[in-house]
Amino acid sequence: MADRFSPVAITGMGVVCSIAHAIPEFTNAIREGRHGITNLPVDENHSVRIGALVQDFVWQGWVESLKSSEPCIYARARKVLNNTTESTRLSAYAATQAVLDAGLGELGDAADEIGLIVAGSNLAQDYIIQNWLRFRETGRPNPRYALTFFDSNQVGCLSEILSIRGPGFTIGAAAASGNAALFQAFHWIRSGIVRRCLVVGACIEFTALDLEAFAILGAACSGRWQEDPGRACRPFDQAHEGFVWGQGAGCVVLESLDSVSGRRILGELVGASLLLDGNHLADPSQKGEIRAMQFALNSGGLNPGCIGYINAHGTSSPLGDRTECAAIKSLFRDHLANVWINSTKSLTGHCFGASGVIELIACIVQLNNGFVHPNRNLDSPIDRELKLVSVKAEPLNAEYALSNGFGFGGINSTVVVRKGLTS
Amino acid sequence: MFLDKEKIFEVVKANTLKVLPDLLADDVTLDKNLSDLGANSVDRVEVVIYSLEQLSLKVPTSELHGIRNLRALVDLLHRHALSK
Repeated sequence: MADRFSPVAITGMGVVCSIAHAIPEFTNAIREGRHGITNLPVDENHSVRIGALVQDFVWQGWVESLKSSEPCIYARARKVLNNTTESTRLSAYAATQAVLDAGLGELGDAADEIGLIVAGSNLAQDYIIQNWLRFRETGRPNPRYALTFFDSNQVGCLSEILSIRGPGFTIGAAAASGNAALFQAFHWIRSGIVRRCLVVGACIEFTALDLEAFAILGAACSGRWQEDPGRACRPFDQAHEGFVWGQGAGCVVLESLDSVSGRRILGELVGASLLLDGNHLADPSQKGEIRAMQFALNSGGLNPGCIGYINAHGTSSPLGDRTECAAIKSLFRDHLANVWINSTKSLTGHCFGASGVIELIACIVQLNNGFVHPNRNLDSPIDRELKLVSVKAEPLNAEYALSNGFGFGGINSTVVVRKGLTS
Repeated sequence: MFLDKEKIFEVVKANTLKVLPDLLADDVTLDKNLSDLGANSVDRVEVVIYSLEQLSLKVPTSELHGIRNLRALVDLLHRHALSK
């Protein structure tokens, strides 16, 4: 039985985002500081004309690649993904990568003991708008609309494709969704509810309507950087002007240590938190962020001195970046010189539902490969006391990393991970 | 466009194959029903709606219930095509 501080193993990972379609490509891309931010296909009336879009993803292509190696997954994926949202296809792709990476493949009888949590809410925004337009024009929505507009349809689709039969649902916590889902899966496994769990960070298909609404609030980057997409996302830089939306999905396979039984462990989830500020607005709380980081450390039996690297929430929003810097300084005080800090969002944009999962993957990749990736566009840091990685990668020698996710509505969540066992 | 039953069946068949990618073209014959071919309830709605759209037909939803096989579906669509 798991004890109070028992870790949870990470045995498989999968990712698809603007800079990579697989883990090795993702590792190289973040090491090199490559970004995926380009102009969106919208006209100049829109305030937000930049985003980090997934490029060249053809779902039929990867499904076809499973035909001989995974015929059962192939047959189910081909059917289930035929008429659904692009977000569901990206989730299915990341999840299938992770399951195969974990050496699980066709799950068979083991499927009863596996959970599935899809992180993110309002995943089908673009699908809904497209169906509204179709309905206005033809009088009919897509025949599958009533099923597909539910976020939970992704849970159904992935469970069918991968044949998962344990507990499952979606978790919505705005930008903290990914971490919130990791928090839930962590406790499911620690408490023995499941031995294994897939956590999928899903892509929220924002529409021009959503992005305009974020711009009105000053949350999305909508100013001078629209004509210079590569320089628009600049977490912790003095010229930051709001988040840049990114498409992407990520998945990790979590397992109890006794479930791993000799298979490879990529890393360990050792602590997690999920706490509210008692505030429904977008403004972050320094106190709330300190509480989230402290609680996550406590849940792993760790203290700030154990952490060698922080994957910041760092969205490139002026108030958000300043608040997170202040929270980290307050909690890490004497240890600041030993803690590297970067934001993966400077490369991938802000992937909302997926960001917590993709950034956990970034932590594992960096811990295990001994580097911290560049903070792209960090030309003039807003804080000189923090050890923010510059625009160049640096070597990393750390055992533990911490990753923050802070969502609108005062939802703060932090996860703490340990590097994988060296083989 | 003049729609004979053959043309309507062609459209229904193409949509059946689109919705059920594992089928072979020869599997889809007039005396089969969609359930026998492996279609679930949502698949059946998909085949019918895509066919109605491509044939520019409007058929009240109530008339679509209780269709026994593809021949009955083609006959129904043909009746509506004639009365347009």
